[in-house]
Amino acid sequence: MKAIWLSLVWITVASPAAFADSCTAIEPQLKTISKDLGRNATTAAENLLAPLEAAHPDCAQLLLVHARIKAAQGSVAEAQELFLRYQEQAPDDSTGMAYFARFLIDQAEYQRADDLSASALDRGPGDPAALAVRGQILDMKRQSQLGLELLKRSCELDPDNADAQFQLGALYDRAKRPADAVKHFQKVVDLDPGYPPAWDYLALNLEPLGEVERADAAYKKALAVNQDGPHFDAFLDYNYGRFLAKRDQLLESKRHLDRAVELVPDFRATWYDRAKVNLRMGNYPEARTDAEKAASLTGQTGGIIDLQIYALLEQIYRRLGETELAEKYAALTRETPPPVRKGYEQAPPQ
Amino acid sequence: MIDPSLQRGRCHTPSTFAITAGLLFALCTPVLLAQNAAEIRFENHQLHSGVDFVLNNGTTSDKPIVDSIPGGVALLDYDNDGFLDIFFANGAQIPTLTKDSPVFHNRLYHNNHDGTFTDVTDRAGLRGAGYSMGAAAADFDNDGWTDLYVTGINRNILYRNNHDGTFTDVTDHAGVSGATSEGKKLLAVSAAWIDYDNDGRLDLFVTNYLDWTPETSKVCGEPGKRLSCPPSLYPGQPNILYHNNGDGTFTDVSVAMGIASHIGKGMGVAIADYNSDGWMDIFVANDNQRNFLFRNRKGKGFDEVGVEAGVAYTEDGIPVSSMGVDFRDYRNDGKPGLFITALGGETFPLYRNEGNDLFSMDTYPAKIGFSTYKMSGWGAGIYDLNNDGFKDLFSANSHVSENADLDPQQHYLQPNAVFLNLQNGTFQDVSAQAGTALSLRAAHRGCAFGDLNNDGKIDIVVSSIGGPAELLYNTSESANHWLLIQAIGVKSNRDGIGTQIKLTSASGVVQYNQVTTAGSYASSSDKRVHFGLGHDKLVKEIELRWPSGAIQILHNVKADQILKVTEAAS
Repeated sequence: MKAIWLSLVWITVASPAAFADSCTAIEPQLKTISKDLGRNATTAAENLLAPLEAAHPDCAQLLLVHARIKAAQGSVAEAQELFLRYQEQAPDDSTGMAYFARFLIDQAEYQRADDLSASALDRGPGDPAALAVRGQILDMKRQSQLGLELLKRSCELDPDNADAQFQLGALYDRAKRPADAVKHFQKVVDLDPGYPPAWDYLALNLEPLGEVERADAAYKKALAVNQDGPHFDAFLDYNYGRFLAKRDQLLESKRHLDRAVELVPDFRATWYDRAKVNLRMGNYPEARTDAEKAASLTGQTGGIIDLQIYALLEQIYRRLGETELAEKYAALTRETPPPVRKGYEQAPPQ
Repeated sequence: MIDPSLQRGRCHTPSTFAITAGLLFALCTPVLLAQNAAEIRFENHQLHSGVDFVLNNGTTSDKPIVDSIPGGVALLDYDNDGFLDIFFANGAQIPTLTKDSPVFHNRLYHNNHDGTFTDVTDRAGLRGAGYSMGAAAADFDNDGWTDLYVTGINRNILYRNNHDGTFTDVTDHAGVSGATSEGKKLLAVSAAWIDYDNDGRLDLFVTNYLDWTPETSKVCGEPGKRLSCPPSLYPGQPNILYHNNGDGTFTDVSVAMGIASHIGKGMGVAIADYNSDGWMDIFVANDNQRNFLFRNRKGKGFDEVGVEAGVAYTEDGIPVSSMGVDFRDYRNDGKPGLFITALGGETFPLYRNEGNDLFSMDTYPAKIGFSTYKMSGWGAGIYDLNNDGFKDLFSANSHVSENADLDPQQHYLQPNAVFLNLQNGTFQDVSAQAGTALSLRAAHRGCAFGDLNNDGKIDIVVSSIGGPAELLYNTSESANHWLLIQAIGVKSNRDGIGTQIKLTSASGVVQYNQVTTAGSYASSSDKRVHFGLGHDKLVKEIELRWPSGAIQILHNVKADQILKVTEAAS
């Protein structure tokens, strides 16, 4: 109830007054478009937008809508130009700043996004869009607790914003709170069943809860909607391949890991996990090739540390009868200190 | 500073990577019953048993790391009446590490053969001293009476059985105090009796954890929300191997035998002849460090081959918080595998012995990965709990930290778990169907396995911090048959520890097991070797390979009996 009240107050207070008159007549359509964009229904939004732009050229909010559509479609230059034009016309609109900041994050312009999201929240402390993007930025700045609070508020105010729900789910995912993460990713896929990363994350978080069949179904949904485009999830095959390996479905696992290696060949984790599957299948030469490739990749490790590579290579070489190499990697394995278990570093001695 | 790796939307990092640094810098059925299988059920008979033991860890508001790790249990027949008695190791006051109140006494309960027990601690002289952790029972002096070794932080004690219901502390005379040659007492958790050189006398292996004293104790977490500090804040310690000299004394051979040079954080220990060379090997479960597998070099020393064998780490190449361990053949292929308990988020490692000095991780292939991911375990056992001829798995569960629930994903009190062997290389978590005793959430720690009422079914005694121990009587209803074998060594050690037993039942099912009291967490189990026989009322052949090298074969043995086998002269 409180959330609804706040939302109403926000709409009343924060609509750009200068343009209210020119947009008043199309408020219902604007709401529909915004809802469509919230659930990533870009085409539907675009279809509604075109006649409105022709009939209401003075409504600035249509610029913002247009910018969001172009951003969702991956038309970076057009989107940027439209966001800037909107900013000129509505320089104090927190919502416009927020969506622009969200766009800038995608363009890796983090400093601008940081500044803009801070301004958005200053101007609209009850604006769900501003809360969401600022929460995301704060999480990226490792101020996760504050980020969490903002994202939670955003989702309370506007539960149908798929992006905010996704960001909150992702934050819970990173905090190893799978039960909480599942709630939000489920909400995302309810809003936008065509968004593969949300299905992927949903599946990843169902795994530790032991909801194996639900996870499998989510992965399959993700694969079914994982089309080329801005929402293509290049890591989906990797995650599903790992999952299938846990289920001992090695042939099928390898098929997905083969695809993962093609999609993200510079990612150490894909080669590493395919090496493990090849090892389990008794494909020792292939396992060796994969593990050696993984060892050669140091840029994007995907969380695979050298100790893991050494231990794997040791086992592969031993099975291949390459005793000298096996001994070399056994020694490296012994010499390499293990990582500190997650969570422990957060409880320093006092 | 913004960390772009935490941006999400276009692509994302697989969330299951366990390593913090890597994570931060990355991109973005119903129950199937197989042949002879029967349901597994347990009932907790503690309430009317007379066993009123409560494990007291002496915790303080600072939650020192040691308060989370006590709780060994031993099942031993100390008075040779044919029924297993129960010994519990108990904590002490912190920081004095003294048993300055009866609530800290270790306890011995005599089995009255009618489901009740009598506390005979005082008469037996087993109150103990110092902060005790675990226990290991066996007949070290070959006199036919079971002796007891108790591990602890500041005191390890060897009790010699006086044959009259009492024990004598012979630690000093025996030279097994658990101190280094420099006189520093190491923090001992578990112990295993093993005749590593097959000389007919039981030697003693002691696992040591880490370098903790009340003075060096670290404090973690906010006041009022203290958490058990991670073991990474303390240096590890070496394990100890004592050689039995045969005259009531032992010699510390840790350095000479290649044990002392390996510094770990030892918790559980289990023994098996994993490479079938006739010499018992030793596995040590290390907390957050690579595990050790000490391969026996024909009694002349040990090579630590955990990395080479593939049991030092998980298949992900990282260590887990290994706690308890059992080392037995769970696939009926004659190759002992390893079942290890660990912390939530890690899964319980299960290692399949490939038979070529190599192991492979079997956790997910055997289908215990997803269910154990949420569990934190201590005691562990590989036992046939429904007598169908296939060994099942049991774990005693609880999180480490008493304040674990501050994290909504964690639970300090957890129910124990049992996994049914589906006879096809996989297991099924049947805890929910195993009776209300298996749904009890508690701070479970050590557990010991044995047949308390000699009905041919394996019972389990579990200790629990701050709560009554659980006497889990196996009430599985089935027509399956069984055999308990008590090995009596003559040239070999009197308990026959290390004897390899191969059993072929009338229907042709072949099983393997071994004589040992070691395994689980800080605990000591029934020395009698249990076999479930399914529908077979007759065992076609039993082959015993004694540590002395003697091979003894028995034919056509009737099921459903406790069979005493004395080592043949030749």
